Amino acid sequence: MRIRINARNRGFQYEAAPGETVLYAGLATGIELPYECATGTCGTCKAKLIEGSVRDAWPEAPGRKFVKSAQGECLLCQCVAEGDVTLEVAKFVQSTEPGACPVAAGAGVLRRPKLLTHDVMAFDVEFEQARDFEAGQFMVLAAPGVPGYRAYSMVNYERAPRRLAFVAKKKPGGGFSEWLFGEASDGAALRVFGPLGKATFRPGITNNLACIAGGSGIAGMMSILERAVGEGHFESHDGWLFFGVRRLADAFFLEELTALRERAPRLAITVALSDEPVPAEEAGRWPQLAFEQGFVHEVARRALQGRYQNIRAYVAGPPPAVDAALRLLLLEGKLTADHIRYDKFS
Amino acid sequence: MAKRFVCRVADVPQNGLKEVEAEGGLKMLVASAAGEFFGYQAQCPHQDVSLCEGLYDGAVLTCHMHLWQWDIRTGAPMGIAEAPLQSFPLTVEGDAIYTGPQPSAIDVGELFRGLPAATLAQLSSHAASESHPAGAVLYKPGDPSDDIYVLDAGRVEFSIGRGEGAAPDGFMLKKGETFGWAALLEGHPQRIAGARCLENSTLLRISGKAALGVLENDPAAGFTVMRRLSGLIARYLASRGSG
Repeated sequence: MRIRINARNRGFQYEAAPGETVLYAGLATGIELPYECATGTCGTCKAKLIEGSVRDAWPEAPGRKFVKSAQGECLLCQCVAEGDVTLEVAKFVQSTEPGACPVAAGAGVLRRPKLLTHDVMAFDVEFEQARDFEAGQFMVLAAPGVPGYRAYSMVNYERAPRRLAFVAKKKPGGGFSEWLFGEASDGAALRVFGPLGKATFRPGITNNLACIAGGSGIAGMMSILERAVGEGHFESHDGWLFFGVRRLADAFFLEELTALRERAPRLAITVALSDEPVPAEEAGRWPQLAFEQGFVHEVARRALQGRYQNIRAYVAGPPPAVDAALRLLLLEGKLTADHIRYDKFS
Repeated sequence: MAKRFVCRVADVPQNGLKEVEAEGGLKMLVASAAGEFFGYQAQCPHQDVSLCEGLYDGAVLTCHMHLWQWDIRTGAPMGIAEAPLQSFPLTVEGDAIYTGPQPSAIDVGELFRGLPAATLAQLSSHAASESHPAGAVLYKPGDPSDDIYVLDAGRVEFSIGRGEGAAPDGFMLKKGETFGWAALLEGHPQRIAGARCLENSTLLRISGKAALGVLENDPAAGFTVMRRLSGLIARYLASRGSG
């Protein structure tokens, strides 16, 4: 199928395989079509059908509230061309920068699913070939027999990895998550597309790093910190990680965080407990980590007071935690938006 | 046109934001900053998001969607924002806030906004307003490139190549967007692309020679316009990759 995209600044043409969404085919061709969640929620990939016909893979997608179907609008991440089509994207669209990690569809194998807490699961996806990504990026994953993709940030970071690590929170009604916590077993075949997302860390920046994560939003931060520590970023810069959970029993990766801090003493790590006072005895088992009571943005506020100069901030987690953290950084920290990185895919 | 009622002073929270519909139906954002009031477009220039839902500290407005930011006193973009806010100057009389007539496409145009009023007035005096129906061809490749166009309303599409081989090459839809730049350049007497109205469109057409004459008399404005024009051309060049 021939896809033509008329963007504000130019036209693009590329091929899509049968069943492949217009967005994924374009991204895999090296065209930076607009997207954020890539999974039907955010509405950023809105486009208008000019010629031909498309099938909507998920007519109930939450992101459809942003489109006017009567005017031929659709979500590029959900529509599949039923022949040659022309779509209009009312945005500036560029080609992918040279050197970016290649974006592709592929097959992966689920490995080592393991409960970390009562509602958080770690798992790996193995590939036959290396799948490079930037620290902070995410993949969209689809389980056998479950319609639609869900976005998950990579936890690990290495070059040319054949194994990508993820965490998922149990979400009732969340297709992939329900499958993962239910019938999933080691060896299951997954469909994968990516890597995606722009909230990345690359060495060479000269900022202190502040990472604010709520719940499973910690995933991408682990990757970012792994890379930053590995590159020696904290030899010359300060770092803060704030990890918000309800109770200490909901926290995970505490061993991994301890190991990061042992390699990078200038990286301060604080676990924020929103729903209980810090249980001194249990918290004492993690002497490298600090524990405080409060919402993660409140704990971050206390620690970052007067330290906003020269900060690059990363934010991830459930939307209320992200919004509160952005408020803190913009309104109190007076950071400009180019010093804040986050992807809206929750 | 006479002044138009916008809202009451009391409608706008101190150092806060309010979306209002001004007399005549214009939706706008009113921001209060240390006792002064500033009027701007109601929607983010990036996507269809109401700016009154944004984050605002009395000095900097941040759209909550993608964190585009603006200086509330000028509407100038900050941080990652790629476009200014369209401004509607406000006046306060007693407890009422008013705005003046709609600024012209030249006043808000991406090449000309913010130039001295006298220079804008001279440019406007050389501009002819034209309306074209959907489908109308404004120019074809090879036509003489005498005039520049500023979009007032509607939508204009560009194409490269001729006849069957013509391929879409972008489109413009915002008031103040400017095309037909070749008229301002040296050594580009012919159009290299075609321009066609996708919808019924209103355009301001200015002779390139006349515009250059005005700018020669105000070299500081001319410098600003040429810098912006270089930026526009660079932006389009940057998109000529693969794909």
